Amino acid sequence: MTRADAPLTTTPSSALLEVRAVSKSFGGLHVLRAVDLTIARGSITGLIGPNGAGKSTLFNIVSGFLAPDRGDVIYHGRPIGRISVVDRSRAGLVRTFQTPQVFGHLTVRENLVAGCHKLGRSGMLADMLGLPLARRELAQMQRRAALTAARFSLEPVADVLAGKLPVGQQRLLELARAAIADPELLCLDEPSSGLNGDEVDQLARMLTQLNEEGMTVFLVSHDMELMGCAATVNVLCFGETIASGPFAAVKADPRVREAYLGA
Amino acid sequence: MSVEPIRAPAAALLTHRHLRRLVGATLALAGIAIWAALPQVLSRGTVDLLVFTALYAIAGLGVAFLLGQCGIVSLAQSVFYGIGAYATAYCCTTWGWPWYAALVIGMVISGATALVIGWPVLRLSGYFLALATLALATIGHVLFLEWDWLTGGTLGVGGIPQISLFGLVLNTPQKFYYFIWPLAALIYWLLYNLLHSRSGYAMRAMRDAPAAALVLGIDVHKLKVRIFVLSALLGSLAGSLFANYVSFVSVDSFGVDRAVSFLLLAVVGGAQSVIGPLFGAAFVTLVPNLLSRVGDVHPLLFAGVLVVAVIFLPQGMGGLVTTLWRRLWPPAPPAPGSGT
Repeated sequence: MTRADAPLTTTPSSALLEVRAVSKSFGGLHVLRAVDLTIARGSITGLIGPNGAGKSTLFNIVSGFLAPDRGDVIYHGRPIGRISVVDRSRAGLVRTFQTPQVFGHLTVRENLVAGCHKLGRSGMLADMLGLPLARRELAQMQRRAALTAARFSLEPVADVLAGKLPVGQQRLLELARAAIADPELLCLDEPSSGLNGDEVDQLARMLTQLNEEGMTVFLVSHDMELMGCAATVNVLCFGETIASGPFAAVKADPRVREAYLGA
Repeated sequence: MSVEPIRAPAAALLTHRHLRRLVGATLALAGIAIWAALPQVLSRGTVDLLVFTALYAIAGLGVAFLLGQCGIVSLAQSVFYGIGAYATAYCCTTWGWPWYAALVIGMVISGATALVIGWPVLRLSGYFLALATLALATIGHVLFLEWDWLTGGTLGVGGIPQISLFGLVLNTPQKFYYFIWPLAALIYWLLYNLLHSRSGYAMRAMRDAPAAALVLGIDVHKLKVRIFVLSALLGSLAGSLFANYVSFVSVDSFGVDRAVSFLLLAVVGGAQSVIGPLFGAAFVTLVPNLLSRVGDVHPLLFAGVLVVAVIFLPQGMGGLVTTLWRRLWPPAPPAPGSGT
């Protein structure tokens, strides 16, 4: 049984995030036209579409890097259209990037410690003076980083500068760093890009495991193998949603085959 | 039986670590002994240069922190250096305030100025930000010149009282030397702590990948403004102490060339290491003085030395020292099963 045919890992119960009638234009180019999308709490939700479909734009609107022209993004039942990326992150909405954005001059371990930032409260003064609160928090962050490095098989490279890692490990590090602070919604932009088959398998296992632990995952990918993890897949084409549903059903949809799969 | 093979390498690691620490402690003690003895064996003029090295190192450390840890090129440090100096000059000569009260006033004004200016300006990045800080340095210099009711204009302000500590007036370079260097060491220790803390990781994360830092909940803009304010406080502190030390301040000390020299010492010293600006400060203070003995061509020679230093030491002098230290005494690998 392939991952594409695997049963759904979770049953969506309620919406964690909703995209409601979002439109976005750049100059005269309409990139998104009243797009609706629902990410159920505890699910893995996928977004696919051919190049230029508007996936990245929608992803950037969800994560707060772009503001919609019309429509809104609802998270936990509240509109977050005007909320900054930082506040979204603190509310549990974390994303990764299509090109891995690791902190290249920090080691893998230090990248993971930096990922714990929002779990701490110590200010700059306490940090400068080395007050007990600051030391205690840093020690906790370092312990968490060590556990996460072990979990994501990054222990052997823990003291290597992240910028010197191959792309596959950089992607894994970015995923580990995003997951380290237990986000509620993990948004992944083309996470399998540049990975070989084994690495994609490892990524899929990791995502499924994170999801089984309660993390909701929003996945934008070209990789149909990886998309097999998703409970619901949305297909975007020329800025409009043309299909939404279980992967097998979406895959069989003639409009999708025509627009995306080219068959 | 299975314990034996583990105990042997553990003991070796222990020895290596102890040896490394022992060498480090010995070098540190030797350094302190040499530092304490220098004013007794060097000429007054040379000790004076070492005092300026410490003053510039304090101001330059702020610039280096911005550059090396946050990726911000700042040419505005001369403004905060000037604010500190003029605050001390005015408060001490006009109102007769003690040096420490004037120093605090200078830091409050500098911090507030950095906050108000930094909030909008630090939304820029790269060359635009560098040019904006250059504009600040230029505006600051013009204001120092024009506000002669406060700064004395081209005539400057004289008669600034020297620092008095528990009845001991620091009226010689030797006395000031023993005051300024421990203060510089304290500031270095504070910034070292900061660099190796939660805030320090956030800063370096912001420098390497700002978008990823945002996603992790690091408020990049707020952090930049805080570091800019911290840098301004260091500039102001150095400026105030400079005014107390030389007893006279004039606008010539706070021009764009001073801003460039603060940036220069950060680059030459190595902005990514905490110790780097110290070497950079020694470079910009001592090397021109040594070269001046050659004659009028010394600025040209200094420029040549500078180019060679930048080409051959891309990580700066601090980077070279750190690399050499690690080559001579590489850190022991983490013990098996150790967490961090």
